[in-house]
Amino acid sequence: MNTESEARQWLERIRALGIDRPVRLMNVCGGHERSITQAGLRGALPANVELIPGPGCPVCVCPEEDVYQAIRLALDEKVTLVAFGDMLRVPVNVPKGEVRSLVEAQATGADVRPIASPTEARRVALEHPDRQVVFFAAGFETTTAPVAAMIAEGIPDNLSILLSGRLTWPAVAMLLDSETPGFDCLVAPGHVSTVMGPEEWQFVIDRHGLPTAVAGFTPESLLAAFYSVLRQLQSGERFLDNCYREVAHAGGNATARRLLDATLDVVDANWRGIGVIPRSGYALKPAHAGADARLRFPDHTDPDRRRAGQMPPGCDCARVVLGRLYPNQCRLYGSACTPRTPVGPCMVSDEGACRIWWAGGVREAAPVAVTDPI
Amino acid sequence: MCLAIPMRITAIDGFNARCEAKGVFRDVSLFMMQDEPPAIGDFVMVHVGYAIQKMTEAEARSTWELLDQVLEETPN
Repeated sequence: MNTESEARQWLERIRALGIDRPVRLMNVCGGHERSITQAGLRGALPANVELIPGPGCPVCVCPEEDVYQAIRLALDEKVTLVAFGDMLRVPVNVPKGEVRSLVEAQATGADVRPIASPTEARRVALEHPDRQVVFFAAGFETTTAPVAAMIAEGIPDNLSILLSGRLTWPAVAMLLDSETPGFDCLVAPGHVSTVMGPEEWQFVIDRHGLPTAVAGFTPESLLAAFYSVLRQLQSGERFLDNCYREVAHAGGNATARRLLDATLDVVDANWRGIGVIPRSGYALKPAHAGADARLRFPDHTDPDRRRAGQMPPGCDCARVVLGRLYPNQCRLYGSACTPRTPVGPCMVSDEGACRIWWAGGVREAAPVAVTDPI
Repeated sequence: MCLAIPMRITAIDGFNARCEAKGVFRDVSLFMMQDEPPAIGDFVMVHVGYAIQKMTEAEARSTWELLDQVLEETPN
């Protein structure tokens, strides 16, 4: 069977369920949201089945203070600052005329370089033994595990890490513990589950009774997961389904989990515009404190800086990240904020819902007030 | 950032593998595959330069198809 007819078959099965009330499915992965948008899955599903992009973008929730610190390290400490490309264009809140992103710091002469892998951070440090190199590493479990691998393998003395690693499930737990979770079923992330194991999502069923399925990234895998959770909802049955069995194995990647445990501690962590979520972040273990850029260099964050830590004025990224608003319900979407001149991180990152929707051709603002919750 | 790409291993030297996807070659770390070491010819899912899991050729091909579509439809 080819993939197109497989997708069609899943859609027919979904329609045959005869869902007769509004149902909200949340995904928590930028890769899922991109596949959904590019394949036009929203339009293909019954009108009463909503697909809500939730907390699936690590760049979007990276603390504004961390981006500010990275900029100051590049400018004031004259380090070589390496980061995944997405981070370079995230703006911080500073007065007009001041450097407000890593790419602007680069334009003023700072040594800022985009990298695609932690192995490149190590290579840059080895090639420039006379320079301090700082790897600004934001990411969820899938990206933080390779950072842990790099640390475990051993890094040069002139390399340190400004870590902004986050865990996805605590943000989902926070939503579910809130008075208005805003969704009825969870589509769990495929590659986070590949690394950590699908079991990480069992709590959604055990504690909250919500249908949950792990999905891969093809339309067929996503549709299989949608079908699974909708069928669970109809039948009353609850189980953690795995629609990405070929890659997300029970228990996850044992090596990756061991490396994470060996090098990093799980700590309370701040999410930009959202606040502190208990045990939702990674920090270097004391044994690796020597590689912690937060300890090696002075702290440049200034709590008195205007709007420190917040989203930019008028920007609704925080509520978009939490699935409280669709991207085009933000009043800046498509007017003040576009991929060419992004205001908020959700329009900067390839995993941000705003950027994905814009790339998918959504050009107009939603015809609802921004205060309307989904 | 979480975009992972299936690649085929063409050579292995310690924890470093030379991998290929549709004619493009990359160096990939196998450091996270120590519990299930892959062999030359195996397909692996690669994320930020690290193999995170083995996969079959059929799964690799369906993901490549999807990535082709995404790249075609994404501006720039």
